[in-house]
Amino acid sequence: MTPAPAYPSGLNVDLDVFSGPFDLLVTLVLREEIDLWEVSVSRLIADYVVELADAGEFDLETTSQFLVHVATLLEMKSRLLLALPGWEDEEELEAEEAGEELLAALVRYTQFRRAADALAERWASHAKRIARRAALPQRYCRRHTVERRLPASALASAMAPLLREPKAPDASHITSVAVTLVEELRRLRDLLSRDGGFTFLGVAPRGRLERAVTFFALLELHNRGEARLQQKRAFDDIVVTLPDAAAAGG
Amino acid sequence: MDDLTRRIEAILHLAPRPVTPAVLATACCADEESVLTAVSELTGEFAEGRHGLEVREVAGGFQFVVARECEDAVTAFAGAREIDDLSPALLETVAVVAYLQPTTRAEVARVRGVSSEWALAALEERGLVEERGRADTPGAPLLYGTTGRFLELFGLADVGGLPPLDDFAPGRDDVEELRARLLANAERRTQ
Repeated sequence: MTPAPAYPSGLNVDLDVFSGPFDLLVTLVLREEIDLWEVSVSRLIADYVVELADAGEFDLETTSQFLVHVATLLEMKSRLLLALPGWEDEEELEAEEAGEELLAALVRYTQFRRAADALAERWASHAKRIARRAALPQRYCRRHTVERRLPASALASAMAPLLREPKAPDASHITSVAVTLVEELRRLRDLLSRDGGFTFLGVAPRGRLERAVTFFALLELHNRGEARLQQKRAFDDIVVTLPDAAAAGG
Repeated sequence: MDDLTRRIEAILHLAPRPVTPAVLATACCADEESVLTAVSELTGEFAEGRHGLEVREVAGGFQFVVARECEDAVTAFAGAREIDDLSPALLETVAVVAYLQPTTRAEVARVRGVSSEWALAALEERGLVEERGRADTPGAPLLYGTTGRFLELFGLADVGGLPPLDDFAPGRDDVEELRARLLANAERRTQ
């Protein structure tokens, strides 16, 4: 049934029901020739630990095998403990359920088995088709791989400039605009309410940017209906008046 | 042939693997729709029986393949080594991965009823299956999926081109037969 596990170190156990090599005990239990009820697993483990300590060396493989077998014995024993009298019926039911589960697994497996057969047909007609597999000649490749080995310091010196904080750009050639649109709007509104009107050239500052701001402010005033703009012809001076004054004049 | 078609022909001629419409479009400064029209013109030009090459749609792109009736000559010329066939175990495993992807080694083993570690490793080595990150489940097992090479070797444009898994579901008669066989086995064992 189960092949006898090999124990290089050959742990010998001395229990009430059994005295001899551990692997033989496991085999006999698996063959149900020894009643697991009678086997003290904790004694087994204690013996093994003592044996390990005496041996003074730790063989990972042997110890793993021992753990696996002891775990199996423990699992079998815990199952025995749970199998109380009066459970036989349920066990039978479980067997039936297990059968159905097995059948379901088989059905699913069959489905994939058939899918695999269909794939096999595709393989037969496609896998051996011949297509170009060779890479493009190196000189046509977008990226050339660096063949020679570079020292790590080359990587560092390539990285260093990226990490250095760049100098702040020189912005001295860019004129800073002294007037904001809001300020200019306030100035023009004051002028308009004080004088009732003015001309663009009369109030515009010298600088081109400042003039642009003044012009924007005028457009804004016109847009809001706060001022009326008049210009006789293109590039002529712009006459700015209050809207009602213009209405009275026109 | 149309100018775009000829440019695509040139690219496919040199490409070592299937080229997607998107890549063709970028290379030719054209939109994908015109590329697809041009490719269908090219496919018509290289229809079976006209040239030594054919255009096939595979693995999400297009490539030239040697016409079947010319394969012997090419093999004789180049001494091309035939690809080793897949064993039934490998076919089965690749089928499970293809339909359930991304899937775990445990799931593959559950469907097949046997440990599939070796089969998955062999498929990975052949470039048919690849790792696809880890599942968001306890133990975070590795996920596996099929590769572009898988699509090429099975002549599929994409995974969606696989026949539906439901087509392979065993019928009621098959299920009854399986049940009968199962019972017979169980009885033989209890005797």
